[in-house]
Amino acid sequence: MKNSKIYFLLILVIFGGLTLSLCYIQALEGTVNISAKVEGCGNGIIEGGEQCDADGSNGPCPATCSTSCTTNSCGGGGGGGGGTYIPPLVVTQVIFSGRAYPKSTVTLLKDAQIAATTIAGSDANFSITLSGLSGGNYIFSVYSEDNKGIRSSLLTFPVSVTSGATTKVSGIFISPTIAVDKSEVKRGDNIAIFGQSAPQADIVVSVNSEEEFFDKTISDKEGIYLYNFDTTVLDYGSHNTKSKASIGNQLISSWSYLVSFKVGTKTVVVEPTKAPAKGDMNNDNRVNLVDFSITAYWYKRSSPPATVDLNSDGKIDLVDFSIMAYYWTG
Amino acid sequence: MQNSKLQFKIQNYFIGVLIAFLLLTFTRPVFAAELFFEAKNREFTQGEEFLVSIFLNSLEESINAAEGRVLFPENLLEMKEIRDGNSIITFWIERPKIEQLGIIGFSGIIPGGYQETKGFLLSVVFRAKASGNGAIEIRDAKVLLNDGEGTSTDVKISNFQFSIFKEAPISQTPILEIKDTDPPEYFKPEIAQSPEIFDGKYFLVFATQDKGSGIDHYEVCEGSKKKCVIAESPYLLQNQKLDQQIFVKAVDKSGNERVIMLPPQKPLPWYKNYAILAILIIIGLFVAGVILRKILWQRFIKSR
Repeated sequence: MKNSKIYFLLILVIFGGLTLSLCYIQALEGTVNISAKVEGCGNGIIEGGEQCDADGSNGPCPATCSTSCTTNSCGGGGGGGGGTYIPPLVVTQVIFSGRAYPKSTVTLLKDAQIAATTIAGSDANFSITLSGLSGGNYIFSVYSEDNKGIRSSLLTFPVSVTSGATTKVSGIFISPTIAVDKSEVKRGDNIAIFGQSAPQADIVVSVNSEEEFFDKTISDKEGIYLYNFDTTVLDYGSHNTKSKASIGNQLISSWSYLVSFKVGTKTVVVEPTKAPAKGDMNNDNRVNLVDFSITAYWYKRSSPPATVDLNSDGKIDLVDFSIMAYYWTG
Repeated sequence: MQNSKLQFKIQNYFIGVLIAFLLLTFTRPVFAAELFFEAKNREFTQGEEFLVSIFLNSLEESINAAEGRVLFPENLLEMKEIRDGNSIITFWIERPKIEQLGIIGFSGIIPGGYQETKGFLLSVVFRAKASGNGAIEIRDAKVLLNDGEGTSTDVKISNFQFSIFKEAPISQTPILEIKDTDPPEYFKPEIAQSPEIFDGKYFLVFATQDKGSGIDHYEVCEGSKKKCVIAESPYLLQNQKLDQQIFVKAVDKSGNERVIMLPPQKPLPWYKNYAILAILIIIGLFVAGVILRKILWQRFIKSR
């Protein structure tokens, strides 16, 4: 009996103390609201990590949204006996397929924001299915990252998506990645131009000077290519190089990013970098909505920071946004 | 001698005129882009509403940025509505809006570039106010190449000539009403921090598209869905502790909404979380009640 009393008093003291500490904390913080509502899947709100949320309608097929708030992939079912007729599920989706680089990460952007990523096979083929779309015009873009983490240029294609239909976009061939081993090369020395594409692809390398030089090489079974360019033919000064790939004259990629180097009197070796050449304001190795928003903040304002003023003309205008849009990664 | 000089001069003039004629006849300026209007009709009745759309043709070169000003005679036309749903512009720097009487400004980008013959930019619904002839024009147009340098390209502009009659014209085309029941596209707002803006304070960025009627506005609700404000990206967060959830609401012009919830980035420790404390207190009171009841019951038994 005595023990029971002690326990009771102990509990009272603990909860009394807790209540007092609660009041103390509330007095200190003063701004936090009490909310007992537990958010999560099934509340009709799409939250972090959820692809969809149809409130009480979440469930297995034919519902479009699963109980774990991921988009259901409801394929057509097989035939069966008699019974209730279940109308075929109307799914609006786009299937993308094409070639990148062996085992590379392929990123798909929907209206310039990352919608999906996948890993290409060892033959460089990839396929991405994107569902949960509305009918309308979309601008999709794809890019890939090579084995050194260097990104390709964006390949962009407008697609008119029909509600309730599957749209297929095939024959995508992502442009090669490109890098050089020197930021400055002594005239007459070689500069290595390298990158990755699909295996056994014909790679055209262009070196742009007053005169444009073209040459060809072939990527190996890993898709890697290397071309040593003799700079004897180049004048002193700045030059650009770019590359594109083709397979059997049927699949032809677009041009890679332009990479610049200088021909001078000395040689400066450089390591390839993952960072976008321009447009990454917050140094997260991406050019996306955050960078756009930082630039938008300075649009038409005086004295913008040098990191935001991409063409160094002392103002933020359409040109800065255009430069950023070229190096976009999503 | 003078005759031969005169003959030489006439020959030179003749050659000059011939070259100029050939140049004018057989060479046309090369435009990498064209901005043009499209409408179902060019003749309207006074009081009639009509839709004029602006398109971009950039088949020659990939372009990634465009801006301009649409000028219309405000003595003849009244602007009723601007529609930008389904536009090829992915991010508006300046969403199309009336800058001043008779002038609509727009500015935006297409990351990755666009190279097609007919890319929809925006459309405007006008009401014919008075009879007369007029033109809707595009001025200060700038279209930039997707070349990493923001190179400006020549733009051909085809203005829109129209006539407004007092009597009914031969045919009247009703404006297509947008039946939009879909919410704006799913999007992922992001909390960021940069020394370049808002003195390094946390801010929120967000953007999405609406393929039907277009985005009308965004709302940000910090802590509770009941405390919302109309906001633009980038939005300076009021709660810099980031210990509360944030709701971002995208509303289209038909009133459809898409609400995205961002969980607290720096949630409160459990002892500062009032929900957990309230649950603990309720459990504690329940346990205390059970024990108290037991004690009282034992006393009651003993007293008997």
